[in-house]
Amino acid sequence: MVRVARLLVISLCMVFFCLALAGNAAAVEIYNGSITAGDGYQLNNYVIDVTDAFPSADSASFYIYNNGDELDSFLINVGDSYEFDFEDNAQVKLTLISVYSGTLPVTKVSIILNNYRVSDLFESSVIDGGHEYATYSGTPELKIVKSVDKSEVNVGDVVRVTVTVENTGDDAAVDVVFSDPQQAKFVLTDNILGEPGRMDVAVGGSPKKIYVYDLKATEAGTFSLNPTTASFTNSAGLDFPESSSNSPTVIVNAGEDLVNADLEFTTTLDKYTVNRNDEIQGTIKIKNKGNAPATAVTVDIEVPDGLVFEGGSGIEVISGVPKIYLESFGVQQEKEFNFKLKAIEVGTYTLSMKNSYLFENGIDTQLKEVTSDSVTNNIYVTKGQYDYLFEQPIYVYVMPLIIIGAIAGWIYYRHKQYKF
Amino acid sequence: MLNILIVGNGQCGNRILDAINREAFGKKSRLAKFYSQQKYKSNVQTIAINTAVNDLKEMKFTKAKDRIHIPHLHGVGANRNVGKHVFEDNKTHIMRQIEERGNFDVCFVITSASGGTGSSFTPMLVKELKERHDYPVYAVVVLPFREEGTLYLQNAAFCLRDIRESGADGIILADNQFLKQMGGNVESAYNGINDMVARRLLFLLDALDSEMMMVTDLGDFKTVMSGGAGLATIGFYEADTDMPVRSAIQKALSPSGLLFSSDVYKEASRAMVIIRGDKERLSIDEISTEVEKLSSAVGHVFKGIIVRNGELPQVLAVLTLESASELENLYSIAVDAIKYERDKKERVATVKEVDRAFSQIDGMDPSY
Repeated sequence: MVRVARLLVISLCMVFFCLALAGNAAAVEIYNGSITAGDGYQLNNYVIDVTDAFPSADSASFYIYNNGDELDSFLINVGDSYEFDFEDNAQVKLTLISVYSGTLPVTKVSIILNNYRVSDLFESSVIDGGHEYATYSGTPELKIVKSVDKSEVNVGDVVRVTVTVENTGDDAAVDVVFSDPQQAKFVLTDNILGEPGRMDVAVGGSPKKIYVYDLKATEAGTFSLNPTTASFTNSAGLDFPESSSNSPTVIVNAGEDLVNADLEFTTTLDKYTVNRNDEIQGTIKIKNKGNAPATAVTVDIEVPDGLVFEGGSGIEVISGVPKIYLESFGVQQEKEFNFKLKAIEVGTYTLSMKNSYLFENGIDTQLKEVTSDSVTNNIYVTKGQYDYLFEQPIYVYVMPLIIIGAIAGWIYYRHKQYKF
Repeated sequence: MLNILIVGNGQCGNRILDAINREAFGKKSRLAKFYSQQKYKSNVQTIAINTAVNDLKEMKFTKAKDRIHIPHLHGVGANRNVGKHVFEDNKTHIMRQIEERGNFDVCFVITSASGGTGSSFTPMLVKELKERHDYPVYAVVVLPFREEGTLYLQNAAFCLRDIRESGADGIILADNQFLKQMGGNVESAYNGINDMVARRLLFLLDALDSEMMMVTDLGDFKTVMSGGAGLATIGFYEADTDMPVRSAIQKALSPSGLLFSSDVYKEASRAMVIIRGDKERLSIDEISTEVEKLSSAVGHVFKGIIVRNGELPQVLAVLTLESASELENLYSIAVDAIKYERDKKERVATVKEVDRAFSQIDGMDPSY
C-alpha cells in the first residue's frame, strides 16, 4: 500500500514537471500594447511593421520582415488575428485589438508566441521607424591560426609563435577574450605583442595578429603546441561556442650543447645477516657519470627503528636523520662515505636513501633538480649470542642475585666484624 | 659448658690470641672467617689489649670489638714502669671491657715476659682480676731469646716475679729460646711458636669441656696447676703417622714436645695427661704403662682419654714444676743484664763525656 502511494506521488510529480516544461513552450503573450503606424515590433530578427492603420475601418495592414527581407503582408480587422511561422517551427499570432486616431493612427495589438521558449528571445521590443531601424543578430565565426616559424629545432633553440584571428562569419565578434595556455617543455623568452586583451573582431578584413612570442625548447621530443582559444559574443550579445586554433607540431632534437649531471648512488653493507647488538658497516658510493658538475648533493639515510645509526665519516645527523651534504660534486668524481649501524631489535629491515642533487644543463635558466630513492637489500637481524639470557624467567636472574647479594652482605658483615 | 676468658696482652699476647682464634676456625685458609665459624666447645671470650694500635690492626681473626686499644703513643717502648702507669690510668676502662663479657670459670692471660705492654699489664691485670673475681687466672708467659738484649731479659725477670706476686693461680711457661730449634726465618719461627702455643691451649680448652672415656676436668686442671712452684709447662705431640700411643706420650713429655725445657721426670710436681685419638689406636696398656712411669716420678698424674674416630694419637701433658733449672739459668743471665744496665746508667750519669765534648767550645762564636 505504501509502495503504491509512493508510485502515485512520483507519477504526479512527473506530470507536474512535464506540464511546467510544456508551459514554457506553450502560447505566451509577448506584447499587448500600442504600435503607431510606421513603427514595428521586433522579435529576434523578425520585424512586424504596422504599415498603415484605418480607424474608420477598424483595420490595419502589416508587413513581416526577416533580417530586413519581406516575408509576408496582410490586412486584418479589429478582432481578427493573423499567424505566421517563426523560428524553429514556432508561430506568431498577431491580433488586432483596436485602431484609434492620433497624430498618427495607432493600433493596439496582441502578439502571442506559440511553441517557443521565451527565454530564447534575444530581442522583443517596439522599433521606431520599423524594420529599417531594426538591429539584426548575425553569427561571427573566428578563424584562429597558430603558426611557428620553425617546425624542427634543437633543444635551446627559439621558436617564434604567431597567432592570427579572422572573422569569417556574418556578424562582428564582440568582447573576444583570447586564451593561450603556457607551453610545457618550452620556456617563454619573449612576448612581443603582449596579452591582446578584450577586443572586437569585425567581419572580413585580413587576419589580425593577436599573439607573437618566442618559446625556447628545453627538452627533446615532439610536442604539439596548445591551441589558442577565444570566447566571444555577436553584436547582439549572444554567446557563441569557443573557437580554437590549430596545434602546430614542433620537433625538438637534443642539441649538442645540452649537459647533464648523472649521479649514481650505491649503498652496500658488509653483511646482511647479523646478530642483535652486532654492528653493520655500510658504504655509500657516489659517482658522477654525467658531463656536468652537480651541486647540493644530498643523501638522507632513513634508518628503521630496529637499527641505530652509530656514526660515519662525513655524515651528520640533522633532526635525527643521518645526512650527507656536498656543496659541489665534479664530473666523474667519486666519493665514498662509511657509516656504522647497530642492530638493536630482531627483525628484517631495509635502509632507504633519498638522494637529490642540482645541476645546470646549459639551457635552462634555473638549476635542474634530480631526486631518486634507493633501498638496500633486506637486513636480517637475528637473536644475539647472549639474548637467551634475557629470555629466561625473572627468577633465573633474581635467585643468583639474591644469593650473590646475601654472600656479599655476609662478607661485608664479617669484614666489618674483623676490621679494626 | 665452661665460660673461658682468654686475654692477650701486648704484641706477643695479641699474636698468640689471634693464632688461637684462627686455629679455632679449623681451617688453614685466611678467608675462613668469611665462611666458617669458630669451633670452641666452651663459651670462649677473647680480648686483645695493646698500647700499639698497629699490633692490634695486624690481627686478622679476632673481632674488632675484642681488640682494646689503650692509647699511649705507639706502645710503651719496653719500659715496664711506663706500662704500669698506663695500665693504672686505663684500669677502669680495661676492667669494664672484661666485665661486660660476663662471668667466667677460668681465665688465661697470654703475654710475653720481655716486652713493654704485655709484661707490665699482665701482673696488674691478674691482680685486678683476682681481687674482683674468684675464678682461677693462669698466665701463659713467653720467655725471650736469651740474646734478645738486656732490657728484655730484665723485663722477663721482673715480669715473672710480678706475676707470681700478683696472685696468679699458675704460670704456664713457653720459652722462645727453647723453641727456636724449629728453625726457619724469624717471622716463620715466631709464627710457629705462636701456632704451637695456640694449638696446645685449644687442645686443653677442648679437653676441659669434652666427654672423656677417662675424665679430667677443670677441677683436675686446677689441682695440677696448684702443685709445684706455681710454674708449669705444656707438652704436646700429634702423631702424623700411625704410631703406638706409647711413643706419642713419650714424645709429648720429651724436651722437644715441651714449651719450656725441663726434665719432667725430675722437675715436675704434678701432671695431667690427655690423650685423644681413635680408640683402636689408644692402647690402655701402653697408656697405663707410660702414665705409671710418669706418676712414679712426679707423684700424681691425672689422665684423660678422648675418643675421636679416625684420628691419630694426640697427647697433651700439663706439668707443674717444682724446680726449673732453665729458669734459674734465665735469672742468672737476667741478673747480669740488670747489673749491666744499672752500671751503664750510672756511668752515663757520672762521666758526662758528651758534656766534656761540648765544653770545648765554651765562649766561642761561629764566624762566617
